[in-house]
Amino acid sequence: MPAVTTSALLWLGTLAGLPALVAIASLLELELERLRRIAFAAASGLVAVALAPAVAGSLRKLGLFTRGGEALLRVNALSSVLLPFAAGLWLLTVAVTPRGSFDRAGHRRAALATLTTLASFLTESAVALLLLQAAAVMIFFFALNESADRHQRRVVAAYLGASTILLGGGVAMLVVGRSSGVETAGLWLIAMAALLRKGILPFHAWVPEVFDHGRLGPAILFSAPQVGAYITVVLIIPRAPAGLLHTIAILALATAIYGSALALVEHSARRACGYLFVSQSALVMAGLGCGSATALAGGLLEWLSAGLAFAGLARVVLMLEARRGRLDLTHYHGGYERTPMLAISFLALGLACAAFPGTLGFIGQELLVKGAVDVFPVMGYAIAVASALTGVAVVRMYFSLFCGRTDKPTHRSLHFELKRHEAAAFVALLVVLIGFGLGPRRLINSRLRASRQILQLRRTPAMNLDARHSVLR
Amino acid sequence: MVSPSQLVLTAIAAPAVLLAVLGCATLFSHRLPEIFTTRLMAAAMTISFTALVAALCHRTGPGTHFLTYGQWSQAGGIALQLLVDRMSLAFGALAAAVLGIVSAFSNRYLHRDPGYNRYFVLLAMFALGMQLIALAGNVEVLFIGWELVGLSSALLVAFFHDRPAPAANALRVFSVYRVSDAAMLSAAVLLSHVANSDSLAALFLASSAGGSGPSLSTGAATGIAILMVVAVAGKSALVPFSGWLPRAMEGPTPSSAVYYGALSIHAGCFLMLRSMPLFAHAPVARLIAGILGATTAMLAAVATRVQSDVKSSLAYASLTQVGLIVVEIALGWRMLAFFHIVGHTCFRLLQFLSAPNLLHDLHGLSDKRPPVRYHHSGASFVYLFALERGFLDSSLEAVAVQPFTRAAQWFGRLDRRLCGGKEEDAGCHN
Repeated sequence: MPAVTTSALLWLGTLAGLPALVAIASLLELELERLRRIAFAAASGLVAVALAPAVAGSLRKLGLFTRGGEALLRVNALSSVLLPFAAGLWLLTVAVTPRGSFDRAGHRRAALATLTTLASFLTESAVALLLLQAAAVMIFFFALNESADRHQRRVVAAYLGASTILLGGGVAMLVVGRSSGVETAGLWLIAMAALLRKGILPFHAWVPEVFDHGRLGPAILFSAPQVGAYITVVLIIPRAPAGLLHTIAILALATAIYGSALALVEHSARRACGYLFVSQSALVMAGLGCGSATALAGGLLEWLSAGLAFAGLARVVLMLEARRGRLDLTHYHGGYERTPMLAISFLALGLACAAFPGTLGFIGQELLVKGAVDVFPVMGYAIAVASALTGVAVVRMYFSLFCGRTDKPTHRSLHFELKRHEAAAFVALLVVLIGFGLGPRRLINSRLRASRQILQLRRTPAMNLDARHSVLR
Repeated sequence: MVSPSQLVLTAIAAPAVLLAVLGCATLFSHRLPEIFTTRLMAAAMTISFTALVAALCHRTGPGTHFLTYGQWSQAGGIALQLLVDRMSLAFGALAAAVLGIVSAFSNRYLHRDPGYNRYFVLLAMFALGMQLIALAGNVEVLFIGWELVGLSSALLVAFFHDRPAPAANALRVFSVYRVSDAAMLSAAVLLSHVANSDSLAALFLASSAGGSGPSLSTGAATGIAILMVVAVAGKSALVPFSGWLPRAMEGPTPSSAVYYGALSIHAGCFLMLRSMPLFAHAPVARLIAGILGATTAMLAAVATRVQSDVKSSLAYASLTQVGLIVVEIALGWRMLAFFHIVGHTCFRLLQFLSAPNLLHDLHGLSDKRPPVRYHHSGASFVYLFALERGFLDSSLEAVAVQPFTRAAQWFGRLDRRLCGGKEEDAGCHN
């Protein structure tokens, strides 16, 4: 274990300090606009800081408080990309959430949610993950604090509470279990917890419900980082029997098709978004459960692509709602001429979700299919169907939300198009998705490295500390 | 001295750069001067055409070469691979020439239209897609081209997006295209599974006559070929997917000309033509393709006679020829099919592009036919059959769309009930 350098500690302090700073600032009597500027600066800074491990190789060897082969805090090939991903989601939230709906408490919750996500992506300790899951669920639960969301609070409490309890049970069995039978039972419980949190069949129903009638902003920030996938990677894949991984992959593929099919017929734009998320995040789990390094790398790429593209898509829906009220997909709303950039962003982000060529999603799905073709060929056909349905669902939403009606003339003081910082956020998101779609070589190689590390852990006995450390570096 | 490999890359890079420039301008709502857009489009198509003709002049022999331009990832195995032979270069050059002509025509047709920039972005996307289809050497490149053509087609059908009908029809067109895409991707998965390769050599060179590609068993070849027939049927509007073709006429006339008169509708035929070595090993798939082609030709020949507007009439006339081309390919008449594609592309393009002038000169052709009265029941049925375009749309609706929609909606209600959810509008919560 290398000595922890001062620069590494400084980096860690900055990583945790920036969201904490915003959370503390939200408690002060600051003007809301000033708080928003502080949050924007902190989120931008966090993206830059979180990118450091991807650039500086020395930070990727960081490991603190290691016990039994598991570090309480570790930076490796997997987390080096997940950290900027989580920071980017916070930046997107701060940049494009309509000001009227982003109050002091909203800023605090967003900062704390990001902090728990970052902490989750930095740990491989089962107990720490359990505590962070409980914290994340509580933050999300308190976000649904209006009387109109009472029903959704019950739904969240039931599903995510069950997920946390199952995770607790599973972790307890892993920690105290002495026999392989107890450990396997614990892994099944953890797998169910991860499926519940991710919204995989048959535990998916809470996602569209919360998206539809709950608060969309917190739902995006809670769902898009896909901590359930991280739990699967860190706790399940290294230990689980092949049967468990196969079960996860089959359920995930069924969910991918199911989610995209339901997104296609839904009347509510929010609910359709919920089903699209269910479908996309299921593809990530399918890749994780496949057992091939290439498919796993595809799953890891899909994780980034689906998370970013979906978060952007849902944010566009939120911004449209701020301009037009609740959106339903049974008739055409028009509005392309008034908000061309919003329309193009929606279409491009939606197509990135549907793995359209030229986007990162395409590369992710290509790797998924390539990796699965020998070990699990059914996955290739299922992805083809899910991708086709997702594409139609996205284009249907685009036509309904932006086409089919002449825009009525409005007073010139009314501005419907994006503000400069909002436009910059969406353009940056598109640049990332399309840039890595056209030039993905470095990212693919990095995800392949991470996937090989993860799969190597399956072959490394948990108690063999030296071997485990060498793999993780 | 420029090598053929560089020439081919230039032919693809030209529309790609064009798409990037026009796409960025449209994203930032920056309206480029029309003259700039037109010249840029003309320059890109000229470069593309010249490069392909020059590459064709380099290659006088019948050989086929695969050019790999760099792996996106060594381990991931995703690469930009192009296939260069006389047929691919000739089809690519034809596409570039046709697109150059259509862009020059479109410049006048869409002069001062609010969607001028958007139109040319989509045309550039289509140009890139067609070049990739023409020159594809592996499944990834073919699929990228296939998807670019499909998306640009659907968005052009919805070009006049201030009316609901174009949007609704575009969604129908795109849905059929996605079925076609899914079939294409499934064929690729099966190909990778059985041949352990994603190179199109397995389809284009496979097999009997001393082909250098990997050999496939009859069962595998039949499976891949049938999936390809489904993909081609979707893209080229063969039976049972022909219903989308008249819907696609909602777009601007120049786009209808280049998509449904000239290039897009022949893209499937071209792919089948390239895959003839595969079809040689799959007699069942050939039979299916032949039957679909013949049925499509007959249906379209009947339907075109009762269409009340000139564009639909031309579209069905075009489909008649496409059906015949598919029959020729199924019969193994390779060169006849290729020259049929080239000849028909040029002829139908001219007809489509001259249709607006004709309408203008004659003050409209639509709805000018006298009402037809059939008293004989047989003739009446044939007339109704033609008028309803073979009842294909309604049949697909009843057999596939409605059961799918009902099942999905039932599951949606089940999900709501599982959460004890409410159906009513609950307002917005950010």
